[in-house]
Amino acid sequence: MIRLPQRETKSLLAIHGWSAVFLGLLLYVVIVTGVASVFADEIGDWASPLPTATTQRFPAGLDQPLQQFAASVDPELRESFFAFPRAGGRILAQFHRDEKDAKGRPTERGVTVDIDPHTLQIENRRAGDAEQMDAGDRSNRLADFFVNLHVHLHVPNPWGLLLTGVLGLAMMVAAVSGFLMHRHLLRELFTLRRRRGDLLSKRDAHAVAGSWNLLFSFLLAFTGSFFSFATSFGVPVMAMVAFNGDQAKAFETFIGNPPVNDPRPAPMASIEAMLADATHRAGADTFFISVEHWGRADARATISMLPPEGELAGTTYVYDGPSGAFQYEKPALGRVPSLGGSLFSLMAPLHFGNFAGVLSKAVWFALGFAAAYVALSGLRLWTQRRAAERAWRPLAYAVTGFGYGLPLSLLVASVVFFVARSADIDVNTAMMRSFLATLTLSVFGSALVDNARAARTMLALTGALLLALPVLRLACGGPTWAEMFATAQLVVPAIDTALTLSGLICLTFAWRAARVPRADAPVQLKEVRG
Amino acid sequence: MQADSARTVRSPRVQRVTPVSADSPINAVDHSRRTFWLRLLLAGPVVLACATLVMAGGAIWLPKGAAQIDNLLLPILLFPAIWASLFFYACLAPKLGRAYGVTAIVALLQLAMIGVHFFSR
Repeated sequence: MIRLPQRETKSLLAIHGWSAVFLGLLLYVVIVTGVASVFADEIGDWASPLPTATTQRFPAGLDQPLQQFAASVDPELRESFFAFPRAGGRILAQFHRDEKDAKGRPTERGVTVDIDPHTLQIENRRAGDAEQMDAGDRSNRLADFFVNLHVHLHVPNPWGLLLTGVLGLAMMVAAVSGFLMHRHLLRELFTLRRRRGDLLSKRDAHAVAGSWNLLFSFLLAFTGSFFSFATSFGVPVMAMVAFNGDQAKAFETFIGNPPVNDPRPAPMASIEAMLADATHRAGADTFFISVEHWGRADARATISMLPPEGELAGTTYVYDGPSGAFQYEKPALGRVPSLGGSLFSLMAPLHFGNFAGVLSKAVWFALGFAAAYVALSGLRLWTQRRAAERAWRPLAYAVTGFGYGLPLSLLVASVVFFVARSADIDVNTAMMRSFLATLTLSVFGSALVDNARAARTMLALTGALLLALPVLRLACGGPTWAEMFATAQLVVPAIDTALTLSGLICLTFAWRAARVPRADAPVQLKEVRG
Repeated sequence: MQADSARTVRSPRVQRVTPVSADSPINAVDHSRRTFWLRLLLAGPVVLACATLVMAGGAIWLPKGAAQIDNLLLPILLFPAIWASLFFYACLAPKLGRAYGVTAIVALLQLAMIGVHFFSR
């Protein structure tokens, strides 16, 4: 129990409320898309599965397509290379070169391909700047849409990252002020006075969900604002102080792989042999491969490993490119283990919740869902308490519009993803336009019709789309459950089932809401008059 | 006394001529409004600038550690916590003047260290 003087408690209440009023809706968008992004890999596998399941993250025989890909790329672009498995187990491989655009901003130019892990065929080659390479990616677009909305709200960087960083700080402020101002935190964990439609019961529900979620919200806010600010703000500031503004030098120092320079041509050794050696050393699977200066005497391969069983962070091995000889082991950051590097290694598993497979992801998903409920219920409480004041009505409409309209808009974008991909049109543009149009309609719809009816309609539409998505996936050429069970790809039936159940729950809630008399319904008015 | 204050408040002409007593309602409203904006200024841009300076200064005064990166990495990792601590202090400090003073001292200390670091190169 925390006892603060009344003045401080009032200040905290004001901070808690006003930070939510100014940033709560955007924070809600970041939380909801973050909840979806917890299962980004699974969403990618569900939306774009291959006919056969992959058993290894990096398949045997990968050297041949990688060498073929390297030979087809302009040597100038072989400055940097990376590869890692994505939707359905396809290996996404990219060669690129860091450049500066006409305005002097850092950009990259390169070529990206997908490699089928079973046939080892190179597919879906796309070239150009980062945006053009992303636009040509069709198998990962759905998951990437959620992730990009979560990471930078589709606002160009660094502004998008700075914005989500500020939202992370706002969430931290809400969590800390919520913790400090509730004098009886332990009691509030279990206090839920249930009276239908009563503001008190809504306040209790908000406080209970918020109290149980406090530590998780703080953790997510802290790690999230770190991820947003680190590259957009932190590294540039540190580069200014320590490296005269040279950000490339700052990154080199952080990574701990000082560059060497020997531009003589030299063939690249077998990546497969390096992968086999790394797997043997770590006792864990490979997460990511990157190579600097492919095809040169100074080529160097860095192989990042997944964490071994029971650990939070994986290690990294460095190999000589031309000989394939093992050079040294290093942590993710720095050449040797350090306090900063260890703390950094904790940030990703704590934010993404991927440290114990699907189980930890499910827990993170549930806690994230509760955080979204806390954000939305807090905003609804604020507007309902001020329902009589005209000035607060636009916020009340926006809260309903965003609250129910955001999940609906994300589902509309998902529907458009399948349709646009089948029709072979620009998936990115179609998804973004449909998302923004639905969200705008939801907000204005909430203002034009009765708020409760708008919410009910959006909930029913959300339920209908959740039920429609598995059918649409099949209709657009997706595999059947029988095919997926036969190849042990359980992610497709699992997500189909989750969508169907969620759709039924939404429809049930919408149906119940339609049947329940509202607090301001004529029945109550009659009682009062009588 | 109360009637006098009320008249003073109602008549702008009189208000210009007659000084308002320190405890009059209008003075209290003006004072609290000014305090609110000053606190907002402190908790917003001033605290952000101070947290940025603490992060930047950390590169100079923190130990480099075994990997020679702790002084660069720890301030970035701790930036959200630095900002949050300064923000809550700025919002909750009972004496606004003292809060400005403490924030200014922290910022100036960091600025001085950064200045010395640049000039000693």
